Amino acid sequence: MTQQAPPARPAFAPPRPWFSSARFLVLLVGLLIVYAYGWRVTKINLSELLIGTKFVRPFVVDLFRPDVASRGVERQEVQLGMSVDAAVAPEEMVPPPGGPQLLVPSRVTAVGAHLLVSGQGFRPNATGTLFWVNPIGNPQQVATFRTDAQGAFAATITVPEVFRGPESGPRGAQQRLLARVTWEAGPLRPSRTLLLVGEKIIETVFLALMGTTIAIVAAVPLSFLGAKNLTAKNPVGTTVYYLTRTFFNVMRSIEPLILAIVFTVWVGLGPFAGVLALALHSVAALGKLYSEQIESIEPGPIEAIAATGASALQVVRYAVVPQVIPPFIAFTIYRWDTNVRMSTVIGFVGGGGIGFILQQYINLLQYRQAATAVWAIALVVAALDYLSAVVRERVV
Amino acid sequence: MKGAALRVEHLTKIYPDGTTALRDVSFDVAPGQFVVIIGLSGSGKSTLMRCINRLIEPTSGKIYIDDVDVTALSQAEMRRLRRNIGMIFQQFNLVKRSSVLTNVLCGRLGYLPPAWALFNYFPADEVARALANLQRVGIPEKARTRADQLSGGQQQRVGIARALMQEPRLILADEPVASLDPATSHSVLRYVEELNKKDGITVLCAIHFLSLARRYGTRILALRAGQVVYEGMPADVDERRFKEIYGEDAVEVEIT
Repeated sequence: MTQQAPPARPAFAPPRPWFSSARFLVLLVGLLIVYAYGWRVTKINLSELLIGTKFVRPFVVDLFRPDVASRGVERQEVQLGMSVDAAVAPEEMVPPPGGPQLLVPSRVTAVGAHLLVSGQGFRPNATGTLFWVNPIGNPQQVATFRTDAQGAFAATITVPEVFRGPESGPRGAQQRLLARVTWEAGPLRPSRTLLLVGEKIIETVFLALMGTTIAIVAAVPLSFLGAKNLTAKNPVGTTVYYLTRTFFNVMRSIEPLILAIVFTVWVGLGPFAGVLALALHSVAALGKLYSEQIESIEPGPIEAIAATGASALQVVRYAVVPQVIPPFIAFTIYRWDTNVRMSTVIGFVGGGGIGFILQQYINLLQYRQAATAVWAIALVVAALDYLSAVVRERVV
Repeated sequence: MKGAALRVEHLTKIYPDGTTALRDVSFDVAPGQFVVIIGLSGSGKSTLMRCINRLIEPTSGKIYIDDVDVTALSQAEMRRLRRNIGMIFQQFNLVKRSSVLTNVLCGRLGYLPPAWALFNYFPADEVARALANLQRVGIPEKARTRADQLSGGQQQRVGIARALMQEPRLILADEPVASLDPATSHSVLRYVEELNKKDGITVLCAIHFLSLARRYGTRILALRAGQVVYEGMPADVDERRFKEIYGEDAVEVEIT
């Protein structure tokens, strides 16, 4: 039998596992409170996602059939005189011979009556609409139909109560039935929506370009003032440095959308307001990035060139500029990317560009037209993203 | 071209954080001397050099270059004086993304109108001078190369060529070979020695290795904690003096 040594007592108690330490538990409770409140205050309601599916479906469906091309529209129309008063004879209308014909069991009927309307001689396999036309010529849609291979159709309508015009006499009872068949014909052409979207997307790209360019012109000189290592060498310089930095920080924190609202008030609706908004925000954003880049350059070359007796301007030109140009280009391209994306929505507040018509399409529930705009935005942003990635790779 | 005379009197530098980098430093350098400054890191060698061309403002004391009181000059006068003081750095301090030629031409900026910098314009005779100086340091073929493509020794030679553009009468070399290997150290120091011997330029050179100091220096100045602790001939720095300068635990490392 072997003698077993008693287990050695540990010199120190082992540390409690991390999950049972008091600090962790307090942290856990704190986090739970934060997220519980966050869930409530942002009204997260996952069931809405399911309930709302039917509302969003038309939009999603139309997203995949954007309005990009169309043909000319041709139509066939036939009218038939009707009467809703047995005492009043219906108007006699002579349809062109050989053309389509409308047939009803009786041309004298009554409001609320069901009427079997049939037709023949229409364009085969086309869609059409039946309208009830009141005495002053206002049509009211009562049915839609589709013609068969022989150009015939049949549909049941309910005779509607319509405005009988200023005179409520016998002529007010003389009404009409109108059948209209439409179909697309002719070559496929870019739709009007596509042309408008194209025009607006070009405006959008140039909005971003002008905004970015103005921003570069202003941000480059400002960034030297906002660089601590160049400017903050004496009390005046330090004041200039803090003023510049404060300007950068304040302007950067105001979203371009808000600036655009201010500028639409100032210079009116349109792309100019958008350009100003993007430019002002980008001056601050670029200026901050630029000046931080200037602050992080190697001090050695500055010292070396200052030691040769060069002036401040020469030191900046030969010691600072060569070091900051590649990062400046990278930041500028990044900003241009951001501005292209931003310019697509700046139209929502009247700042010009494609956002303006996109918002209109959405408000008018013209989802196919909205889809055209959305696709255009996606294509242009992706293309410019790719382009700037290529440029950045070449330069930096 | 004749080397400048340098006289430093009671020079003291106290940094804003209270560090005393130099304490009552006084010494004389005759024109054409090759003075080696030795001392531990942090003993004040770099501060001393930068006080001489006022990249760092001295706290008190006087510095005379050819009897001109450097500490009394205005900023504009100081810039003119700096044209005659070449400086060579441990980290070379070249503009890495610029060409070798541009780096060398930068040494001439003090002589050129500042407005030319906006157009990156250098006159043809200055370009010729730059190429001649590159020839002198043995890398004429590298003129169009980007500075960061060169080896350390080559970069330091560009640094020397840049200093030469100034037509300097005094060269301040702040540990010019501390980032280089032994063989390259010698080749770089030989160029500095040649400027000293041939052109008569006064040289003030900080070096860590005593063997290099003995080989190139005509005089040695030792700093310890911001004070001059030894001044004399290179050959006179023996074991005992060495320990005075570098502390009791120091062991001399040979570099040949």
